[in-house]
Amino acid sequence: MDNPFSLIWYVLFLPLAGSLIQALFGGAVVRRLGPAQGKRLMGTIAVLPVAASFLIGVVLVQQLTTMPVQTRHEVVTLFDWIQLQSISIPFEALVDPLSMTMVLIITGVGALIHLYATGYMGDDRDYTRFFTYLNLFIAFMLILVLGNNLPLLFIGWEGVGLCSYLLIGFWYKDLNNARAANKAFIVNRIGDWGLMLGMFLLMVVLAGSKVSLQSNHYLSYEVIFANAVNALRAHPELATAIALLLFVGACGKSAQFPLYFWLPDAMAGPTPVSALIHAATMVTAGVYLLNRMHVLFELSPVASAVVAMVGAFTAVFAALIAFGQTDIKKVLAYSTVSQLGFMFIACGSGAYWAGMFHVTTHAFFKALLFLGSGAVIYAMAHEQDMRRYGNLIKYLPITAGTMIAGYLAIAGVPGLAGFYSKEAILGGALGNEHAIAGGVNLGAVAGWVGLFAAMLTAWYMTRLTMLTFFGKQERWRELPAEEHHEEAHAHDAHEAHEEHAHEDPHGFFFTDEEMAARHEEHEHHHALTGDHQPKEVPPSMWIPLVVLAVLSIGGGYVLHQHELLQKWLYPSGLAVLDPALVPGHPHALPLMALSIFAAGLGLAAGLFFYWKGLPAKETYDESKWSPFRKAARDQFGYDGALMDAGVNGGRDIGLAMWKGVDVAVIDGAVNGLAWTVGRIGDLVRRVQTGFVRSYALMMLLGGVGLLLFLLMELRKLGGAQ
Amino acid sequence: MSGVPLMAYLALGLFMFTTGVVGVIIRRNPIVIFMCIELMLNAVNLTLLAFARYQPSAGSDPVGSAMAGQMMVIFVMAVAAAEVAVGLGIIMAIFRLRHDIDIDEMNLLRG
Repeated sequence: MDNPFSLIWYVLFLPLAGSLIQALFGGAVVRRLGPAQGKRLMGTIAVLPVAASFLIGVVLVQQLTTMPVQTRHEVVTLFDWIQLQSISIPFEALVDPLSMTMVLIITGVGALIHLYATGYMGDDRDYTRFFTYLNLFIAFMLILVLGNNLPLLFIGWEGVGLCSYLLIGFWYKDLNNARAANKAFIVNRIGDWGLMLGMFLLMVVLAGSKVSLQSNHYLSYEVIFANAVNALRAHPELATAIALLLFVGACGKSAQFPLYFWLPDAMAGPTPVSALIHAATMVTAGVYLLNRMHVLFELSPVASAVVAMVGAFTAVFAALIAFGQTDIKKVLAYSTVSQLGFMFIACGSGAYWAGMFHVTTHAFFKALLFLGSGAVIYAMAHEQDMRRYGNLIKYLPITAGTMIAGYLAIAGVPGLAGFYSKEAILGGALGNEHAIAGGVNLGAVAGWVGLFAAMLTAWYMTRLTMLTFFGKQERWRELPAEEHHEEAHAHDAHEAHEEHAHEDPHGFFFTDEEMAARHEEHEHHHALTGDHQPKEVPPSMWIPLVVLAVLSIGGGYVLHQHELLQKWLYPSGLAVLDPALVPGHPHALPLMALSIFAAGLGLAAGLFFYWKGLPAKETYDESKWSPFRKAARDQFGYDGALMDAGVNGGRDIGLAMWKGVDVAVIDGAVNGLAWTVGRIGDLVRRVQTGFVRSYALMMLLGGVGLLLFLLMELRKLGGAQ
Repeated sequence: MSGVPLMAYLALGLFMFTTGVVGVIIRRNPIVIFMCIELMLNAVNLTLLAFARYQPSAGSDPVGSAMAGQMMVIFVMAVAAAEVAVGLGIIMAIFRLRHDIDIDEMNLLRG
C-alpha cells in the first residue's frame, strides 16, 4: 500500500472505530467518570474521528487536484469480497472528484453536527448510544459514496437506512417515534427493492451482452461505464428500465413524490439527526446515485424526463404543504423534500453537476436551519409550534443571526449559496435538450416549474423566519404563567433523568436543565409557560451554527467562481460524457433576472403577509383556517390516503390470507388429513382385542392364506410346464 | 428300510401340527400353549426327518443331502429350547406380578 490514496481506508474506518469505541466502552466510561466528565470525554471521542476523516479527505482532494484531469480517479482495493466463477466483487474504494465531494460534505458537515450534538444531547441518558449510531451512520454513508461498485453502494445504502431507523426511533419509549422509525424504514424498503432490481438487471444485461469484457467485475463502475453504452445502445428500452429502477431507489432515499412521506415523520428523531441525516447527507444519496450512474440516464431520455418531472412535481407539492405546517421542524422537513426535488430537476435535465452543486449548498444552509431550529426549540422549552414564538431575535441574537443567513441562502437572495446553485439548476434545465419524452422537452418544463417552486420557497421560509424571530408579539406570553409547571405526562424516556446539577467550568455543556425528549406538536404537551425567558444556547451549539452560516453565505460564491465546481466534477475521468451535455446557460433567457424576480416575489409576499406577526387567519383555532391551508396541513390527503390504503389494506389482506387461506384451506387440509387418519385408526384398532389367542388365530388364518396363495402360484407354474 | 411308507409319517406330522395349532388357539394356560407350540415344532421336525430319509431323488451326494434335513432338525430343537426358556421367564415374571397367568386377563395392549 505505497499509494497515497490508501489513506482513504482511514477515512472509512475512523468513524467505524469511533462507533465501536462508543458502543463498547461508552457506558462504562460515563459510569466511571460521572456524567459530566464522562460525557465530555465521550463527546470529544465522538467528534474526533469524523473531523480526522474530514482532514484526510482534504489532503486527498489536494492530491487529486495535482493530477491531470483525465486520470483523476483512483481505485484502492482492500480485499476480494465476493469471488465466484461468473462474477467477482472486490471491496475497493473509488477516489474521484464526485466521491470526494460527497466525502467532504459528509465528514465536514457531519463533524459540525457531531459537535452540536455533544451540546444538544448533553443530558440525555443514552448519550453514548446516540453517538454510537451517529458515528456508524457516517461510516455507512462513506461506504455508500466511496464504494467502487454497486453492491458496496448498496451496503452503505442499507446501512444508512438502518442508522436512520435507529436514530429516528432514538427515544423509542414514545410509540410515535417508534412508528415514525418504522415508517421511514418500510417506505425506504420500497426504494431499496427498486435499486436491487436495477442492479441485478444491469448485471444480467452486461453479463449477457456480446461486448467482450476485460474482467468479470460486472458491477464495478469502470466496467459499467466502459461497456454499458455498447451493451445498451441496441436496447434503449432496457436502459430505460434499469434507469427507472435505479430512480425508484433514489426516490425512496431522497424522498421524492411517491415515496416522500416518511421524511416529515422522521423529524421525530433528535434535531442533530434531522440536520445530518434527513437534510444534509443521507437524503442526498439518491442524487449521488443519479450522478454516479449518469451514463444510464444519458442513454435514456425517457427516464431522464421522468426524473425531471418527478423532481419538479415534488418541489412544488412539498413547498405548498409547507404553508400548512405550524411545527418549525415540519416546515424544514417539507422544505428539504422540495429542495431535493430541485436536485432531481437538475439530474433529470442532464445538469448533473448542478445537482451536486445544490447538494453541497443545501447541506450548508439546511443543516444550519435545522440546527438553528434545534437551538430555538431548546431555548423555548421544547415547544415546536411557531405560533408560540415571536420576537425571538431579542433573546437569541446568535441563533437568529445565523438562521437568517441560512434563510436568505435558501430563499435565493443574490450572492448567497442557494442563489448560485438554484441558478445553475434552472439554467441547466432550461438550456439542456436532454430530457425529451414524446417530443416534448420536459426538462425545460421542469425548469419553469422549478422557478415557481423557488418563489414558493422564498415565501414559506419568510413565513417561518417572521413568525419565529420578528414581530412585536411574544406569543408564548399568552400562556398561563406557572411557577412550577409539572408535566402531567412524564417523559417516559426521561423518567430516569439523571439528577446531576454540575456546573461546567467551561460552560460547554448544559447543567441539569430538563432536556425533554418529546417532540410532539400537541398543544398540551409543552412545558412552555407565560413567564418563560428564552436563553441563548451554549458555545458547543452556536459554534457550528456560525461556521455553517459562513459557508451558507460564501460557499456558493466560491464554488461558482470560474465554474470551480463544474470543472472539478467534469470531466470526471470515468465518465463517458457526451460533451454536448455539459450544460451551458441558455443565453436567450435573462436567467439571473428571472431567479432574482422569483426570489424577490416570494420574499415580498412573505413579508406582506407576516410582517405583523401571526395573521388572524392562522391562529390556534384551526377550523378558521382557509381550505387551502387545511389541505396543506394534511398533505392534501396524500399521506392519510396512502397510510389508510397501505396499513389498513395490508391488514385486510393479512386477515383475508389468515382467515380465508391459512385457516380454511391449509389448516383445513392438514387437519382434515389428520382427522381422516384418526377415523381409520378408530376403525382398525378394534383388531387389537388384547386376547393372545385371537392373535394366534389371526396368524393361523394368515399362514393358511399364504399357503393357499403359494399353492395357486405353484399350480400355475405346473400348468405352464 | 422299514415298510412304513412316507405318507404315514406325514399324516402323523399333520395330525400333531393341527393338534398344536388348535391347542394354541383354544387354551388359556400359557404353559399348555407352550406345550402345543412344542407339538407344532416337533411335527415339523418329524416331517423334515421323514423327507430326509425318503428322498425322492438322491442326487450326486445322497449322504450330504440327507444330512441337511437332520441338521435343520437340530437347529429347530435349539431354537425351541431357547424360546421356551425366554417364554417361561416371562411367564414367571407375570405370575410374580399378578399371581395369575391366564392369558385372557393380559389385555393391556387392547386397542
